[in-house]
Amino acid sequence: MRYLAFLAVGIIPAVSALWPMPRTLTNGSDFLILSPSFAINVDITKPPGDLLAAVAQTKTYLETDKLERLIPGRSASDAPSLKKAGVLPSLTLSLQSKSSPVLSIASEAVKDLHSRSEGYTLSIPADGSPAHLSANSTLGLFRGLTTFTQFWYSDAEGKTTYTNVAPVNIANDVPAYPYRGLMLDTARNFFPVADIKRTLDAMSWVKINTFHWHITDAQSFPLSLPDFPELAAQGAYSSNQIYSAADVQDVATYAAERGIDILMEIDTPGHTTAISLSHPSFVACPYAAPWSSFANEPPAGQLRLATPAAVNFTKEVIGAAAKALPGKYFSTGGDEVNMKCYDDDAQTQADLKASGQTFEQALSAFVGATHSALAALGKSAVVWEEMVLDFNITLAPDTVVMVWISSANAALVAAKGFSFVHAPSDYFYLDCGAGEWIGDDPTGNSWCDPFKTWQHAYTFNPLANITSEQAHLVLGGQQLLWTEQSDANNLDSIVWPRAAASAEIFWTGATLPDGSPLSGTEAIHRLHDLRYRMVQRGVKAIQLQPQWCALRPDLCNINS
Amino acid sequence: MKLSVLTLSALLPSAFALWPLPTSYTNGTTPLRLSPFFDIKLNVHNAPADLVAAVARAKGFLKTDKLQALVVDRGASSAQAISKAKTLPSLTISLNTNGAVKSISEEAIAPIDSRVESYTLTVPADGSGAVLKANSTLGLYRGLTTFGQLWYEWDGSTYSLSAPIQISDSPAYPYRGFMMDTARNYYPVEDILRTLDAMSWVKLNTLHWHIVDSQSFPLVIPGYTVLSEKGAYNAASVYTSADVKKVVAYAAARGIDVLPEIDTPGHTAVISKAFPEYIACNEATPWASFANEPPAGQLRLADEKTSQFTAAMLKAVATMFPSTLFSTGGDEINQNCYTQDTETQASLAASNKTFLQALDTFTRVNHAALRTEGKTAVVWEEMVLDNPVTLANDTLVLVWVSSANVAAVAATGHRLVHAASDYFYLDCGHGAWVGDFPTGNSWCDPFKSWQHAYTFDPVANLTTTEADLVLGGQSLLWAEQSSRESLDATIWPRAASTAELFWSGPGGDVQKALPRLHEAVYRFRTRGVAANALQPEWCALRPGACDLTA
Repeated sequence: MRYLAFLAVGIIPAVSALWPMPRTLTNGSDFLILSPSFAINVDITKPPGDLLAAVAQTKTYLETDKLERLIPGRSASDAPSLKKAGVLPSLTLSLQSKSSPVLSIASEAVKDLHSRSEGYTLSIPADGSPAHLSANSTLGLFRGLTTFTQFWYSDAEGKTTYTNVAPVNIANDVPAYPYRGLMLDTARNFFPVADIKRTLDAMSWVKINTFHWHITDAQSFPLSLPDFPELAAQGAYSSNQIYSAADVQDVATYAAERGIDILMEIDTPGHTTAISLSHPSFVACPYAAPWSSFANEPPAGQLRLATPAAVNFTKEVIGAAAKALPGKYFSTGGDEVNMKCYDDDAQTQADLKASGQTFEQALSAFVGATHSALAALGKSAVVWEEMVLDFNITLAPDTVVMVWISSANAALVAAKGFSFVHAPSDYFYLDCGAGEWIGDDPTGNSWCDPFKTWQHAYTFNPLANITSEQAHLVLGGQQLLWTEQSDANNLDSIVWPRAAASAEIFWTGATLPDGSPLSGTEAIHRLHDLRYRMVQRGVKAIQLQPQWCALRPDLCNINS
Repeated sequence: MKLSVLTLSALLPSAFALWPLPTSYTNGTTPLRLSPFFDIKLNVHNAPADLVAAVARAKGFLKTDKLQALVVDRGASSAQAISKAKTLPSLTISLNTNGAVKSISEEAIAPIDSRVESYTLTVPADGSGAVLKANSTLGLYRGLTTFGQLWYEWDGSTYSLSAPIQISDSPAYPYRGFMMDTARNYYPVEDILRTLDAMSWVKLNTLHWHIVDSQSFPLVIPGYTVLSEKGAYNAASVYTSADVKKVVAYAAARGIDVLPEIDTPGHTAVISKAFPEYIACNEATPWASFANEPPAGQLRLADEKTSQFTAAMLKAVATMFPSTLFSTGGDEINQNCYTQDTETQASLAASNKTFLQALDTFTRVNHAALRTEGKTAVVWEEMVLDNPVTLANDTLVLVWVSSANVAAVAATGHRLVHAASDYFYLDCGHGAWVGDFPTGNSWCDPFKSWQHAYTFDPVANLTTTEADLVLGGQSLLWAEQSSRESLDATIWPRAASTAELFWSGPGGDVQKALPRLHEAVYRFRTRGVAANALQPEWCALRPGACDLTA
């Protein structure tokens, strides 16, 4: 019985190729071959260069993906169907609005979250007439091109490129949430620019639109700021482990051309020990021991937030970093502020006394100063949840809050009336479950054990315990990689394909095109497909199951 | 206070960073650098080709490692001392014994209790030549491996700050292994070869190759090619006879024996693709009633033809591998599969045997076939604990279910290898991999950290006599959630923890070991193995600073 049921599923033309699933989709079960002379026509006056580059990249993927279908027998079983398949001659791109000039993908990608236009409409007829992709923006066209590339498989010889689900109609696929991110920590361990770029490529394939770049931390300060070169000169791991101003521009441009905004974070006032190497007077409790009394991990050290010179310095650093980026958002962090560090710091206590401020007042003034630097650049501040939950400080209403400690805290943040991003450790932390990394602790475990599987992340409900009046506060969400136990050597395999789970939750929303709720048993077919396609494109995504299961996911469920 | 301690330690000569740590050594604090004309002199008459090749590789690593010391300034503060240091002109290699010289490859696959891996290494500080001696080419190979770990690079100089060095080294246990599962997911030969290289760098001496399983049958067996033709994931995902020869030779030349495993009678569903008549409960559902993971399917062990087929097939595989060891598996036999299988029940009734009697016969026939090929059988612990069958006294038992079962296995009098899931399974902690199970976790959660494995006591709860049965141990990577994309980072450096445990002996100090293990990671990377980061680099450069109570 079970086996027959499986065969029946195989006959239904389920789209096993797309990730994230479009909001709307109808498709058939015809085979359709990509013409050997397949062309992508850009029916746009003065198309921007990044759109043309995206079109060229699309054609390259169509030629080089060479992904065989993930079914027993792989593409061999499709050979009979291909003999009578139609041939798709071309895809034509057009903009629905005729306003000019046409903005580049890069310009569209860094707009305010609420004014980005990522939707597109795609039709792929089965009868040999051309396919059409239209959108209101070049960013929407980019999303549509990404979808288009995911339909195509290769035969075993790599000679024929085809789909098995024509005709296809995707009418106005727009994301459920405007913020779909991935966070990478480049301070615990350094990641070369090439690894970041490869990650940006992979992000773009699943329509993630924000790279939350946690660029500095207590351990190292790899960001080289032209106005403050000493920070990286003293604080980077080495002169080879630095992001120069040119590197940041390079990454930002590369990202924007792929529909991704950079949300840079310079975490303050905690997580700043590395600043003490160039500015010792600005950091309290640097390298204090035992570290566990002064910080959540070694080394201890926090900005002297009550010291006027340190406040002013921080404000200028934040401004200097923010002005180099085109986006509208910048994070000043604010997590894990350690009170003992300040209580024991004579300078901080003296400054508090001199100004007559409580610690919380000083924190409020400190945050106010750094955020004013952002406001002056037209940027909104992003903070970790402690800034609204643990401390009573003044924040601008446009401040975006990241919920990380627990998914249970989302409702508390919503109650404060702030827009927020889901980044809970209990669902979205990619680093959990890899054991204790602190030394001399053989019985220790990962603090956020267990490992967060893609299936677990996929069950996340962005609106749990959120009222309908508060729902508009949910900007989206992201998975995060803190890198105490990662660097370029395991980057791909620890991030992918897991980070695609949130990409789908926050693009597709709660339901599939047929109205049924998102389901891990439906999704795993597509996620395997995505993983194999990523490998074909040079991203070392980890294998989720034995290949036997990847070809037969329905036989490897817990109750199969 | 703490700050000054840290600063001080950064100025001291870098740690003596060998992995595994030699069982006996002394070292000084005199700087020494390799002469620009440094040479390795092989003073062995009729030196075997694999020793000559090993010397060439050792010279290559000395040139290409270019590993900077893991201290805050990466060696800059030692620059002057390095430039003034005496130079080491040469390393002379010789055997203590006269007579016929065996190759490393021959020594590596000798019976496990007859291998000689010990060596002595002297590196004087006064500019005279270094000397490496051993009683076997295998011992010389181990010594060359050690010699290659002594050196750092700064500004074009290859140096040590630890001369003079005297090492007299031999392993605590003869079996130090790593198990690789190439059936759940396939690994190309080049990934296996790279893994063998890395194993050799930490003196692991056994690749336990779990070649086939229920999901796929990648091994091309002469006379039984239909098994892989129908059972491999695809025509390219196979190990041909030539591939096996290449792997075995590559391993042996690096001091590694390849212990093949054809798991029986369970974990064999894929054989049904070619021989459906030999498999009970093939792909039966729900799989959870018939197997520990999908797909279900076990050899019809009570059927005479199946038994003959299995024995002949094992014999054919045995001829492909030169090792004296061969594993017939024997783990996770599912009773329900056989209870529900009409054919098996009929066979049992016809022969008037219980299941256990049938398993006993099945195992004896298989092991007898292996014996004719000169093989000693290896089995998983169930074959002595859950389903105690008749086994030859020399049978090796792998303890995997729990370290708590070691004593019970030892009580049977069999020699054993530690492979406990609660210490040595590298796949644990990555969440549930079966589908439709979002609340599921890794069955053997949590992740086994290197520190945890390092604290394992190989003789816990054993009498002195029983302790002699412990041949060693190994890390294992079951590959449900691994493939070549994640291989290096999942194995390394964790498998090195086990390598040191069984070479240097138990009781090591995790605090002292960590800086050396960091160094192993960094050196692995210079040699092209993508070992995983253990900590932030800040910690890697500051021994002790990231300890729990630092």
